[in-house]
Amino acid sequence: MIRNISAGNLLKNLKIQLLLVLAAVLFILKLFFSPVESFQLLLLNEIFVISAVAFLLLSISDFITTGKFNLLSLVMNLGILNAIMFFFITFSDSILNLFYSNLGDKIKNPDLIYTIISFFYVSIFISSLAYIFLTFKQFYFTRQKRERNIYFNTMTIFFLLSVSTAFLDKYPGLSYINNTFLIISIILIGINSIKISWIAFLSKKEKVLLLVLSVVILTLFVLNLLKSGDDTTHYKILNGFSPALNNFLQLMMIYGIGYFSILFFTTLFHIPTAEAYDRKAKEVSSLQYFSRLITQVLDFSDLAETITDIAIKVCNADASWMALKHDNENKIIANKNIGFVDADALTGYILSKSNSSPEKIEKVIYRLSSLKDVPQLSEKYSGLTVSILRVHTEIKGYLFAVKKGDSIFDDEDKNALNTFTDYASVAIENAKLLEESIEKERLEKELDVAREIQRKILPDKNPEYSSLDISATFIPAFEVGGDYYDFFEVTENKLGFVIADVSGKGITAAFIMAEVKGIFESLSQTSLSPKEILINANQILKRTLDRKSFVSAAYGLLDLKEEKMFLARAGHCPILLIRDGVTQDIRPSGLGLGLNYTPYFASTLEEIKLDLKENDVLVLFTDGITEAKNFEKEDFGEVNFERILIENSHLSAEEISNEVIKGVTLFSQDTTQHDDITLVIFKLKQKFNLIGEQEWQNSVPQSKIREV
Amino acid sequence: MAEFSTSIKDQGSINVVYLKGFLDAHTAPSLENAFSGLVDEGRYQIVANFKDLAYISSAGLGVFMAFIEKIRENGGDIKLSSMSDKVFNIFDLLGFPLLYEIFKTEEEAVNKFNEIK
Repeated sequence: MIRNISAGNLLKNLKIQLLLVLAAVLFILKLFFSPVESFQLLLLNEIFVISAVAFLLLSISDFITTGKFNLLSLVMNLGILNAIMFFFITFSDSILNLFYSNLGDKIKNPDLIYTIISFFYVSIFISSLAYIFLTFKQFYFTRQKRERNIYFNTMTIFFLLSVSTAFLDKYPGLSYINNTFLIISIILIGINSIKISWIAFLSKKEKVLLLVLSVVILTLFVLNLLKSGDDTTHYKILNGFSPALNNFLQLMMIYGIGYFSILFFTTLFHIPTAEAYDRKAKEVSSLQYFSRLITQVLDFSDLAETITDIAIKVCNADASWMALKHDNENKIIANKNIGFVDADALTGYILSKSNSSPEKIEKVIYRLSSLKDVPQLSEKYSGLTVSILRVHTEIKGYLFAVKKGDSIFDDEDKNALNTFTDYASVAIENAKLLEESIEKERLEKELDVAREIQRKILPDKNPEYSSLDISATFIPAFEVGGDYYDFFEVTENKLGFVIADVSGKGITAAFIMAEVKGIFESLSQTSLSPKEILINANQILKRTLDRKSFVSAAYGLLDLKEEKMFLARAGHCPILLIRDGVTQDIRPSGLGLGLNYTPYFASTLEEIKLDLKENDVLVLFTDGITEAKNFEKEDFGEVNFERILIENSHLSAEEISNEVIKGVTLFSQDTTQHDDITLVIFKLKQKFNLIGEQEWQNSVPQSKIREV
Repeated sequence: MAEFSTSIKDQGSINVVYLKGFLDAHTAPSLENAFSGLVDEGRYQIVANFKDLAYISSAGLGVFMAFIEKIRENGGDIKLSSMSDKVFNIFDLLGFPLLYEIFKTEEEAVNKFNEIK
């Protein structure tokens, strides 16, 4: 047993129990005191009957309000109950006559069997009427904007008054009381019957069905009312049982007649506009559906699918597809209920056919069956309409819809599709912008990583030598150009250096750069020959570089004691030597690393030895300097570069570097730097003047080197 | 910024690819497409005409490296012609003249192909 029966359930059970008790009491009353003649007994009888009906109503309404009912099925139920009542009213004579030859006597003087039969008969009517009453209540409260139960409650009270005074009809002097209540009830029925706004929300199909049903049901209500008049067996049984019941039946029938006649005419007038209403409702719901999707769809192809899906619903089409402009071609990106081949053929046909303006394409409703040269299609289509997907005034693509068979589109369909297309354009544009911004963000993240790699790869400070002034400047481009330079302190007096430029940009270039650093760092320890180092570097890079990547590099070794430089160049910019106000281009031959992995590479490489003098300025650079662009896309160029170097060659390495950077910056102001700029300057220090100074220069920094 | 474009002229078995504008990391894929189109069709005798090319970056040079191996394996070649001094300088620095035949005019490049036959 369930112990926790809720209060609601308990109440429900109580109602049913009371109903059963009342029924039993009524049955006993009928069995012993029938026919009821005295006023007191009649009153008691009526009280019992009315209370029984009231409890029945309460019990049924518990079930009705808990379930969600389709209004049309409620109408259908009304019809069925009416039909049942009609059956009993019509055939009560003939059926009861089968049991009783003299029915009139039996009614006046009932036995047990008759009492049971009449009890059964009456309960059918009570249940039917109770259900009908509750259905009307349901109708009344459906789609009511405001709580207007006052009208319905007033009507219910007058129903009660009318029903409970029905027995007074037997006393001619008092019948006016019942008549008054009856008339007021009928007036209230009239007022309440016009509350039928719910039919507006039915679809056209449902409205047609409702129209047919309401005719049938209205007829049944009228017939039942007429048949329940005086002097039929039915009347005798029901009125004999309780005048209140007959009164209730009449009231319900009148309510039914009033309600259904108004329902019939209203539905009739709604039918011509039903289709337009349907469409509007559909439009609204698909736009809602769509606006929700705009925020949801992150995937472009999903969005395209959805757009064709909704396009079909919006303009009552059978198939739809979307073509987007791509390099002056219209590419179909989504097709629904139509093959790609058909969609493609029709797109080409319609767009080539309409030599007219796009505006005209949008206005015309095509009827394919009456057009010439329509391409062969796998299925028969007739109606076709196109809307243009636009962003601002630019045409982005087309949204097509077709109908199968012989049907064509009307203006409403066309307008609906055009309206929808405006929304679709916005959504497509949003999706594209989103895609682009995600991609952009991804690239930016990637570039951050690349810049970080580059920053860590490049030396954070320059080596220090007593006889050599060193300056290194690196200015990264936004996209990371792949420049790399490094110093290797091989021995006390030997300084290895490398400058390189990895092809390509971004993260790929940064990774190759990291590898290049590793290669040169280890090779610089194994060999003193720049040529050998570059040959080995080329061999090692073979494993990493793909076919279209390469690295230009120059490797040199400065022997500070002997004042010599050994240099080999693998495709890199030449090294510039400024001596006595003249620039020399030091350009030993050699292929870039990664351009050739055969022994041919080694054969192209040349290693040169250069004797150095004090005040010599050696300049290593990448093409970021010479190819720096100004606003007219002109190069900064070698001439400018060399001029600045010569003009400032008397200054320190750092100062020369600053002048060059200043020159480049001034030249390329207001433009973005498209490649990394690397500038490394060595200047051999002067050794003349005082011997003491020379000794000082030699001693102090050397101790520094040991520290390093 | 449509800064770069290619067009292809069919000259018998020889295909002349005209490069125009700025060839850098962003526009290199367009040249790649042009070359892979030719390679896919088995057209391996290619002359690249640089007459209207204003600039070439390392990524642009990489495109030539990407295809040259396959083209040469198939008995073809990419010959370069009509470079401005500036563009030639870039090729020269990297040692491309050691790897590619570079001609002053398109005609010379085309004739070179015909000579071999």
